[in-house]
Amino acid sequence: MTTRVQFLERVRREMGKTRGLFPATTAPRPARPREAAEAVRRQLAERWPQAVERFRAEFERVAGVFHRVGRLDEVPAVLARIAAEKGAREVVGWDPAALGWDLRAALAPHDLVVLLAPPRDGEADRRRHREEAARAPLGVTGADWALAETGTLILFSGPGRPRSTSLLPDTHVAVFGPAALLETLEQVGVMLEAHHADPARVDGGGAITFITGPSRTADIELTLTRGVHGPKEVHAIFVDAGAA
Amino acid sequence: MSDPILATPFPRRAGAALKDAYLQEALTIATTKFIDLRKEAFAGLPEGDALRDRARGIKEATLQRLDHYLEQLADNVQRLGGHVHWAATGEEAREVILRLCRDRGVKMAVKSKSMATEEIELNAALERAGVTPIETDLGEYIIQLAHERPSHIIAPAIHKTKGQVADLFSRELKGRFAADPEVLTAVARRELRQKFLQADMGITGANFAVADTGTIVLVTNEGNGRMVTSLPRIHVAVMGMEKVIPSMTDLMVFLAILARSATGQKLSSYTTLVRGPRRPGELEGPEELHLILMDGGRVQQIAGPLREALYCLRCGACLNVCPVYRQIGGHAYGYTYPGPIGILLTAMLEGDRAVKDLAHASSLCGACKDVCPVRIDIPRMLVDLREHLDRGRIAPRSERLVFRLARRLMESPTLFRACVRAGRWLQRPFVRAGRLRRLPFFFGKWTATRELPAVAARTFSERWKDLA
Repeated sequence: MTTRVQFLERVRREMGKTRGLFPATTAPRPARPREAAEAVRRQLAERWPQAVERFRAEFERVAGVFHRVGRLDEVPAVLARIAAEKGAREVVGWDPAALGWDLRAALAPHDLVVLLAPPRDGEADRRRHREEAARAPLGVTGADWALAETGTLILFSGPGRPRSTSLLPDTHVAVFGPAALLETLEQVGVMLEAHHADPARVDGGGAITFITGPSRTADIELTLTRGVHGPKEVHAIFVDAGAA
Repeated sequence: MSDPILATPFPRRAGAALKDAYLQEALTIATTKFIDLRKEAFAGLPEGDALRDRARGIKEATLQRLDHYLEQLADNVQRLGGHVHWAATGEEAREVILRLCRDRGVKMAVKSKSMATEEIELNAALERAGVTPIETDLGEYIIQLAHERPSHIIAPAIHKTKGQVADLFSRELKGRFAADPEVLTAVARRELRQKFLQADMGITGANFAVADTGTIVLVTNEGNGRMVTSLPRIHVAVMGMEKVIPSMTDLMVFLAILARSATGQKLSSYTTLVRGPRRPGELEGPEELHLILMDGGRVQQIAGPLREALYCLRCGACLNVCPVYRQIGGHAYGYTYPGPIGILLTAMLEGDRAVKDLAHASSLCGACKDVCPVRIDIPRMLVDLREHLDRGRIAPRSERLVFRLARRLMESPTLFRACVRAGRWLQRPFVRAGRLRRLPFFFGKWTATRELPAVAARTFSERWKDLA
């Protein structure tokens, strides 16, 4: 087997032979990522009403279903309506600490069974939750960021916020407020730089997922078909007064 | 490679593809649609050209400090609890995976679409070792059931009609399925859902790996990449070493142009950033993460004539616009990577001899270079490759002889004029309406697919003498 040292030695040997290379630079990164992220935040605090409209247009363009409510206490009714449309009795969702509000309490008056993701690791929990997530027709998550330019939901995995909630159910609903909105991919880059600014920091989860519409394929005769492996439908519920 | 496809010489493979009416129709529909989608996507992106320049710059800048970025990537992946393996050859990469399967008692592996694992023929190796590999990208699933190779980098089953897929599913999955993409997709969803939940190992490629953060990036539309990296207890990513990029800021530049070039989407449905195995307190995600960094012929091109091919994002845009690919499709090329970039990648990974015919499967029209998101100069490299094949005596003897004679002819005006005179006399029996449509002997090979203008009654230089 080749070792790291051997492999890199070969790379360096070949690099030493190159000549006549053109000057090239990587993309300029923010010098102070945290401050740059703060600047983006301040910008969006002003511009979020435009950003949410752009998000809606792009999200609908990728076949997302957009809902907008004024306050968090209006969310359960929207969720109940979606569940009724889908004939869903069971709803799987993020842990209250991850979501910022309690899905089980919110849906209590609506006669739905709410299966919450346990905010801990363990074989028994894992097995039970996987079975629940695979069974429930509806998955409810938050959205850490919502990218207006492309209609993209960005979700961080972590304790109480498993990856499968937005993946295994046929319908995924993400609930978020103005604080999640970003306008451009470039801003996402700044936010990601800030998120990773402290190299020693390994809290949170192992995956960041960008979701742009439902699961899709065009592998048979380039005919667009939705819901191959992931959700067949993605909904966004935007809460003007904030969701977290 | 002992591939049955390669037992037939390339001109015969191409000839057969040209006569396949189904294939011709499928290719025309698919490539035309891809071209339109791409055009539309870039029309809505005024900064598209600037982003492409930037992306090209990032790839080049990364290669100029490649050792640094590879070390940084490996350090970060390890710091997060992942394992890094260095594979000089495809065989070594396979061995890493097979050993893991043995040690961890893996019986079934689900795979998301990965050209790198196609390249190292991983599925056959897994099967021999008693591990069941399951391709989960719909296109890859189709061709796995049909025991074929992908015919397009991003749409592997582009050559199959829905009727053929329905027949295949009905036969292999024991049912009666209508020739309707909706129905067939639902069948695959049902079949594969169980496999995702049961599999012990998830195998992926990597579209990018961010050195600064140790992040493996996967871009998919179906969500299978997410399944494969979320559900099984082991995740193995196989990656050509040139896929490393420096930072998250760089990643955003590539994301802005990759899906637009490939499918005309602004972003693919899912972009998954995997950073290490499952964290403490996290319920899902793999317990173990392995990243295999592969050479396989790439490293020697860092200073080689195919250096620029190391920029390739595997978007497939150059296939769709190539007049040769559009006629013969992916299988006729005979190797993992088809199309214009595929010829260069085949030369890189399989050696010069593999492309002695393929190097000529290009009209050098330059359409590939025009659409490449990182502006790889494919036509120039193809010309260099042809020269190299000639100088290295890899091209067939007859071809080299013809080119040597042509050169002698061009170098000597006296000889050239003598040949023109002789040609004018010799061509007489073959001229029809001023064109040469059929020539005797081995010249006939040339005129089988082309025609030549006849030598003029008076050439330009002969008329020039009178005018001067």
